Amino acid sequence: MPPATSPRTDVTHVARSDTGDPLWRKVIEPSNLANWAAPIALVVLAIVFQALNPTFLSLGNVESMLSAASILIVLAVGQTFVVATAGIDLSIASAMTFAAVIFGAVFQFGLIAAILAAIAAGLAVGLVNGLLIARGRITDFIVTLGTLSAASGMALIVADGKPKTIISAPLLKLSTGTVWIFGYAFLLAVVLALVAHVVLFHTRFGTYVLATGGNTEAASATGVSTARIKTAVYVISGLTAGLAAVLLVARVGAAEPASNTSFLLNSVAAVVLGGVSLFGGKATIVGPVIGALLLTALVNGLTLLGVSQFYQPLSVGIVVVLAAFLTRFQK
Amino acid sequence: MSPATHLTRHIGRAATVAMVGSLTVTLAACGGGSSSGGGAESGGVAAVVKGLDNPFFQTMESGIKDQASTADVPVTVQAANSITDTTGQGDKLNGLAGQDFKCFIVNPITGTNLIQGVASLSAKNVPIINIDSPIDEEAAKSANAKIATYIGTDNNDAGAKAAAQMGTLLPQGGKVALIGGTAGDVTSAARLDGFTSAKPANVTIISTVAADWERQQALTKATDIMTANPDLAGFFVANDDMGLGVAQAIANKGKTGQIRVISVDGNKDAFDAVKAGGIDAVVAQYPYVIGAMGVEACQAAIAGKTLPASVEAPVQVVTKANVDAALASAPKPAEAYDNPFTELNK
Repeated sequence: MPPATSPRTDVTHVARSDTGDPLWRKVIEPSNLANWAAPIALVVLAIVFQALNPTFLSLGNVESMLSAASILIVLAVGQTFVVATAGIDLSIASAMTFAAVIFGAVFQFGLIAAILAAIAAGLAVGLVNGLLIARGRITDFIVTLGTLSAASGMALIVADGKPKTIISAPLLKLSTGTVWIFGYAFLLAVVLALVAHVVLFHTRFGTYVLATGGNTEAASATGVSTARIKTAVYVISGLTAGLAAVLLVARVGAAEPASNTSFLLNSVAAVVLGGVSLFGGKATIVGPVIGALLLTALVNGLTLLGVSQFYQPLSVGIVVVLAAFLTRFQK
Repeated sequence: MSPATHLTRHIGRAATVAMVGSLTVTLAACGGGSSSGGGAESGGVAAVVKGLDNPFFQTMESGIKDQASTADVPVTVQAANSITDTTGQGDKLNGLAGQDFKCFIVNPITGTNLIQGVASLSAKNVPIINIDSPIDEEAAKSANAKIATYIGTDNNDAGAKAAAQMGTLLPQGGKVALIGGTAGDVTSAARLDGFTSAKPANVTIISTVAADWERQQALTKATDIMTANPDLAGFFVANDDMGLGVAQAIANKGKTGQIRVISVDGNKDAFDAVKAGGIDAVVAQYPYVIGAMGVEACQAAIAGKTLPASVEAPVQVVTKANVDAALASAPKPAEAYDNPFTELNK
């Protein structure tokens, strides 16, 4: 489908080459700095950590970082669609926990059934969010705060508060198999990100998503069904939560009703680090993916260096706030 | 006190959400609501425990109920809505305190959140058995509350037992890493401190990380630590769930059996992992026994016996050698343990 014209889509591409300026000049331009915050920080971190500990960029460590980042990448992609419409999905990590528990409950009927059930569970949470927000006209913040609690409660009820061990050779393959340094889970996340990129920038739907986020009234005046778009982005977010649940179960070998709250914060942080505007209308997919890699690399590097556990949350917080500060200069 | 394990995990969740909006407390209270127990039978024993949203307290509750039915004592168990529901738990105790129970078993979420109810019960001379998490001594004194006895486990000792076991597993010594719960958590710190102070001299701790009581984080951080230290010999992990994550990380690297893992708690999954070889040893604490002992203490108190000021609940090391017995006798320990209440209730 050819992209429909929208006043906001042109700003969504990070680096356009039609102005003729050299790339570095565009990078240091304050208005572009926000878009480049994550890649720049990632490079700086890599240099610093590599200087302090030569194992940081060893192939083995890069491989484990990429695997560790895959769940966060999947969630960040889902969160990006929601944030692009100026919404927020606070329930994304709980939806993942709920989907993981459903996976565990259905696993006795086979792996495929469990995967489908997990994805359906994620979609269901997303659909509830979307309908309440778009049709019920309740603020996204409140709705997803409610489903955050409800989904984790449902997870506890279904799992009866207990983790369930999942033993499955294909899942083990998913979490440990690699192509060179790229784990299957990471490759899956990258494929999802590519699909998301195409959907967001090369389909009518993607244009509508950005238009809805940029200016809801204008979008609906031009005939975009903003309610439908808003519902759809939460469904997408739920879908990614369901996929992330499968990766999570594969990774830890168990379906458990654990809170996984760090994923909620990190998914929002990755999106912000990626230069996506919390006011909507302006998004990239590559940005949040790099944001997710950055957050993972940061914790990995601090762990490798043996930095005291007390400093890790502090450093993550500083990085996130600095990135948010840079977004002030966005056009 | 292992429940604090779970306490902090959930506090972590609450704190996260609090960053987003303080409305959560209300919502969480609406979401989690499950108080368990029979009808309010007067004349018996009342128990107020922490949230039943995790296995540790579910096991504790079944210990209370089983012992009560064995002893034919009517029991009412109420639980907090969740592990962070400090005021709700206080309200539940206050509600029960107005009824005619002969003895109370309390497992407070914090050292002070039940102090008001405990004080009003003390004023009526109803015996109070404090299990698992201790009521703050200072607060009890200033509120004029009398605690008949305290039954719980020593997390420092659990850490020390793990250290001794690590010494057995690594006779030549070597580098070990410590995986704790949420940074700054009391239970996690006690277990890690116990390990650190009791470890053999030839075992060196090269890294201590926080994995927020989550299996996924433990897996990731254990992988990172192994990458940074190819000669690592072992992990001490502050609970079983994270221990399973570490075991998975080691298995992913194909080093099962080469890098030793010891965790604390005593969940069935961890015992299974000990049997399968993923985890080398589990320092097991027994919430079932803590709950059951609470009821026994109440029986003794109702009969007018003098109770010991504090009782250590059993802590036992489970390895491949005794894991079958541990699995068979779960949720009770396989080996004999001191129970002063058996004698008192004869």
